[in-house]
Amino acid sequence: MDEFNDNEIGKLLRLKRYEQPPPGYFENFLHEFHRRQRDELLREPLWKICLQRAQDFMFRLNVPALTSYPVAAAAVLVCAAIISLKIYQGPETTTQVAAQDRQTFTVPASVEGEWTLASPVATRVFTAQPIRKSNESVHTHRATTAPPRYVLDSVPVSYETALRF
Amino acid sequence: MDQPRTDEDQQLVARTQSGDASAFDQLVVKYTPRLYGLVYNMTSNHEDTNDLLQDVFSKAYKAIRGFRGKSSFYTWIHSIAVNMTLNFLKKRGRRYHLSLDDVDSSVQNDKEFLELTASSSPVREVDLSELQKRLNEAMMKLSEEHRAVVTMFHIQGMPHAEISKILRVSEGTVRSRLFYANRQLQNYLDEFRKNPVA
Repeated sequence: MDEFNDNEIGKLLRLKRYEQPPPGYFENFLHEFHRRQRDELLREPLWKICLQRAQDFMFRLNVPALTSYPVAAAAVLVCAAIISLKIYQGPETTTQVAAQDRQTFTVPASVEGEWTLASPVATRVFTAQPIRKSNESVHTHRATTAPPRYVLDSVPVSYETALRF
Repeated sequence: MDQPRTDEDQQLVARTQSGDASAFDQLVVKYTPRLYGLVYNMTSNHEDTNDLLQDVFSKAYKAIRGFRGKSSFYTWIHSIAVNMTLNFLKKRGRRYHLSLDDVDSSVQNDKEFLELTASSSPVREVDLSELQKRLNEAMMKLSEEHRAVVTMFHIQGMPHAEISKILRVSEGTVRSRLFYANRQLQNYLDEFRKNPVA
């Protein structure tokens, strides 16, 4: 018996071209590819999709061709200059504003305990101290020993008159 | 086997890069049969081949924006396919089972098939489907790199220069791998011929 030589092995291997996938495989391959692409897209987080869209947009604008190292370096220097200006100017203006705010919106401690009809928003919202002390809330108008508490219409709850028709 | 026209591919690539997904579909349709042959003959498994091909085109679609045309699309997509298949085979290791695709009936009209079966060659003595199985087994005994070279040269009909570009090795390396792989295949098939039931 002869042995396989290189030529015959080559011929045999070339016959493997006739090994074909199941019928219709190539026709369905593209549909399967689209389906997998959609599935993959649905599994990706939103930020990744947004990033990809942004990259596509940049690619279409051809931004990389416009940029270069000198331009990037100049952009970094400009940003650094702007930030440093903000830092040096920033603290003075902010302290002034803070001082003005304090004068406008703080309420004297003596007033705090008193009852007033002034707008509660203007006087109390921006104060550092709480409007009402925490232990006040435990007393209600039902407590007999405590003085009568006033509600918004300035009439003691205990003196409310019954409804008359 | 002739290499597909590259100018047509370049146009399709340019259209894909400008956002025309249908152009990439045309590339998929064009290259699927060819890449199927390449990947299938390296894995000898239809399901693995299908999954790998899907991954190859998915990767190519994501990476096509970075394709600058230094090589042809043909070489580029083949490189992706070969590298992904080699990585897959290294991960899979020896755990595989052969899933042979049916041999197309037109093989019986093939000139080389007629020559092989008509002459006094050892092929006459064995059943074709059995030989197909043995040939695939012999292929699977080769290392992944040798199998890739054999597939591209003998089955796909690529020239040495093209294979060297795809694998990024010298033509000398391609030739030496091919020589060594041929010797191994010859030994396996002779062993089978001498002892068919083994």
